[in-house]
Amino acid sequence: MDRGWYFRLAIVVGSTILGLLALWPSVDRWLPTPDIVKEYFDNQINPGLDIKGGLRLMYEVEVDEYIRDRRDRIAEQVQRQCGVLIGAVSEEDVDDVDRETMSKIQERCKIERVDKDGGAVRAIRVTFSNQADADKLSKTWVRDYFRDLRVASGVGGLVVDLHMREEQLSNMRETAVRQSERTITNRIDSLGVLEPTVIARPNDGDIIIEVPGAQESSFERIKSIISRTAQLQFKIVDDEATDVGALLSNPPPGIYLDADSQPYLEAFGEDARELLRDHIATIPVPDDHELAIGRQDPDPDRGGEGWRTYYMYRVADVTGEDLDDAAVGFDPQSGSPEVDFTMNTRGASRMADLTGSSIGKRMAIVLDDRVESAPVIQGQIGARGRITLGAYLDRNELLQEAKDLVVVLQAGALPAPLRPANEQLIGPTLGQDSVTKGARAALIGVLLVLLFMAVYYQVAGLVADTMVVLNLLLLLGIMSGIGATLTLPGVAAIALTVGMAVDANVLITERIREELRLGKSPRSAVEQGFARAYSSVFDSQLTTAIAGVVLWQFGTGPIKGFATMLLIGIATSLFTGTFCSKVVFDWIVRGLRVQRLRVG
Amino acid sequence: MEFVKPGTYIDFMKYRAPVVTFLGLLATLSLVSLFYPGPNYGIDFAGGTEIQLQFSADTSPGEVRAALGEAGYSRPDVISVEGADNEYIIRVREVSSLPEEQVGQIRESVNSILGEDVIREMKVSPGGDKITLRVSVEVNEQQLQEALEAGGARVRSVSSLAGSRDPRYEAQLVGVADELLTSLQKAFADRAPETPLRVEWVGPKAGEQLRDAAIQSLLYAIAFIMLYVAFRFDMRFAPGGVIAMFHDALITLGVYVLLQKEVNLTTVAALLTIMGYSINDTIVVYDRIRENMVRVRDKSLRELINISTSQMLSRTIITSVTTLLSVAAFFFLGTGVIQDIAFALGIGIMIGTLSSIFIAAPITELMDRRLFSRSTGS
Repeated sequence: MDRGWYFRLAIVVGSTILGLLALWPSVDRWLPTPDIVKEYFDNQINPGLDIKGGLRLMYEVEVDEYIRDRRDRIAEQVQRQCGVLIGAVSEEDVDDVDRETMSKIQERCKIERVDKDGGAVRAIRVTFSNQADADKLSKTWVRDYFRDLRVASGVGGLVVDLHMREEQLSNMRETAVRQSERTITNRIDSLGVLEPTVIARPNDGDIIIEVPGAQESSFERIKSIISRTAQLQFKIVDDEATDVGALLSNPPPGIYLDADSQPYLEAFGEDARELLRDHIATIPVPDDHELAIGRQDPDPDRGGEGWRTYYMYRVADVTGEDLDDAAVGFDPQSGSPEVDFTMNTRGASRMADLTGSSIGKRMAIVLDDRVESAPVIQGQIGARGRITLGAYLDRNELLQEAKDLVVVLQAGALPAPLRPANEQLIGPTLGQDSVTKGARAALIGVLLVLLFMAVYYQVAGLVADTMVVLNLLLLLGIMSGIGATLTLPGVAAIALTVGMAVDANVLITERIREELRLGKSPRSAVEQGFARAYSSVFDSQLTTAIAGVVLWQFGTGPIKGFATMLLIGIATSLFTGTFCSKVVFDWIVRGLRVQRLRVG
Repeated sequence: MEFVKPGTYIDFMKYRAPVVTFLGLLATLSLVSLFYPGPNYGIDFAGGTEIQLQFSADTSPGEVRAALGEAGYSRPDVISVEGADNEYIIRVREVSSLPEEQVGQIRESVNSILGEDVIREMKVSPGGDKITLRVSVEVNEQQLQEALEAGGARVRSVSSLAGSRDPRYEAQLVGVADELLTSLQKAFADRAPETPLRVEWVGPKAGEQLRDAAIQSLLYAIAFIMLYVAFRFDMRFAPGGVIAMFHDALITLGVYVLLQKEVNLTTVAALLTIMGYSINDTIVVYDRIRENMVRVRDKSLRELINISTSQMLSRTIITSVTTLLSVAAFFFLGTGVIQDIAFALGIGIMIGTLSSIFIAAPITELMDRRLFSRSTGS
């Protein structure tokens, strides 16, 4: 045997060992895995909801928050349209009103967000400063420009109340739940082959997610990824405001007023964030501004981790909706993990407008009501940006944080926060007898195929059988390695893959037969047989693989899971069917030098 | 052992007319069946009713499942809640939906009893277990219940909902849950719970998002497969493979629908597997035709197809047999879902084998006559 053959043998043996090692943690129950193996292969095959059960999570979509958010956006539109109404802005420029014009409009017609009945009624109050302007507002005007609003009271007077239309509210509820479902599915999909169930119930405003498996640690991660709202907003910090000092004065105990050039509040210790949040909720901030909280350097003398407030404009000029892509990156100086993002064209041009007109000011990067950082704008920024996560956490935690952040940013923001409503561990959907019978059927099916091949093709059949077993081992090994979920239908699919994977062996063996019939020696029949069969094996598998890649790229949930398994199956059966079986055949015809090759 | 003797030549193309007619009929029948009687969607696609309940004495999920099966519920999900004794979540496909005219009657009855135009908005939950009403004036709950019942609704309770400008009421209806509970009480006597802990309509696991993604990804898959085949072989081969692939999936689905078997997510997985098998099988035959086109010069494409298919016949049979062997094991030894998958796959594989020979190859010949009529037609 030549050196090339030994090299190929080494690859076969090596991948077999790798497959066995990867599979080991999955059979931990029967054969304990040594720690040295666990260090490299810590994933295992995850039994599906039908076989093992899992965790059932119920989240209520806080639709009221969604409605409030919609109201806030509409209020912004009302402000602009009022500008047109009173003649301060032309119809064409309505989407492009700068900050100064905006505050001028605000002087003549003030827009307030009003919540009545404890948030049950979300209203917008328009207060005109003179009757001439007030006369311009009519019911028709409201109907024409805002289909979500109706006039509740005050047309013709100085104060007009606009309410959200009741019939739009139920549509909004449904939209909020549907969008949440979509986002959650996308997020879970990006975690790999998990096969969870996501059920939305728009009428009840909640979403049920069932996650298979039993690993506490993976549940925690999934929960944190699902429930994160991931609203990314870029807002300008108002450092020029003069009245902030008065607003922030006399903080309660535990909160300190830092009154340098630009006053802010700070607090330290574990409860600092809640303390600050509760306090700023009581501060009467002007309607177009807001106070938000972000981390700052910890101070061990004053209790540890530190939090501070930022006083900034309420309107988010650029949001995560304009995000194109996000990836984990590393700060070139400190090497600490961060998230790099790219804006789409719309976002990039908005970002350029925003930063171009605010050079020297600070831009707060706000993620879910938390200021991640507030760098000073040095120059115009375009499509690219980054979110530094601060150096307050352990490096590994930061890295995990960065990865999770990328997942949620890519999948998009939830339209409203989710509130965990219920959490239960649940048993399998299928009975034990169904699982046992299914597993037995799979075993018998595989044995039948092996038996048939051995009888029909004899020596070549035994080679094919070895390949089938190796294929199965590699397939399960890879599944274990990536922590794929195995359902009972999945077991059936694997057994079927075995039936189909022999196709490569059949094609090759049939070709070897044909060559032998032409009177060729075993050695050249094997060479020719493989050479000729390659093209059909590759073409047929590659065509299926193309379909698999497309399904993987565009599919969601179970379709994506199916495509993943299909692709793994194609890879392993190509490897065993052509590469590995050639090694064995070469050994038979060149090592053993058989005079007659029994191929049935 | 040899199923097919070497040198066998079968004039497949001679039989294509009757076989194509037969397959065509099957495909047409399948297509019709999709609209009439239409697929029998399972809980994955249609949603259903979810009931959470607790038995007062020891029960096993198997027992509950068996009892529900006997009461006529097809494939109920019976899931035990861990950490709570004898508590189960049961999901069945049945919903107690109210027909349109019934909803109209209820509306009329409420309006006539409580005052004209009292209803601002009336919504019936998709599961038919709840009616939500928004009315213009506050009404007595007892009165509202009577008004609803006069319209034919079976009401369990009426409660008012807070937090809106208009008064809102929610009526819980008697429905699937009560029937299910009755059948459990029959089977378990005093062990069975008297009232459920929770009853809710659940939406489909496979909602619009999945459907849209599935359709989109299938369209892209076809485009890419055709592109690849056109590039690796030539344009004549591309349509045949894809048409055969669809034909196989269509007939399998058709048989499923005609037998009124439940169509679930696993059915979709089975259909995708069949499409993969089908295109795979077709490409193998194509490959041999292509090889023979180079090696054998003086034959018409029709003869080449016959020669190639005959040469590949042994392989085609062996691969079908091995695949069918594992499928058969599942069909005869498995239960429920597994049996259904095996059934679909079995049909798909047989049809797929036939279609590679009698659909894909003839379409290739047809394309050849259309595209290259002068060179090979003479």
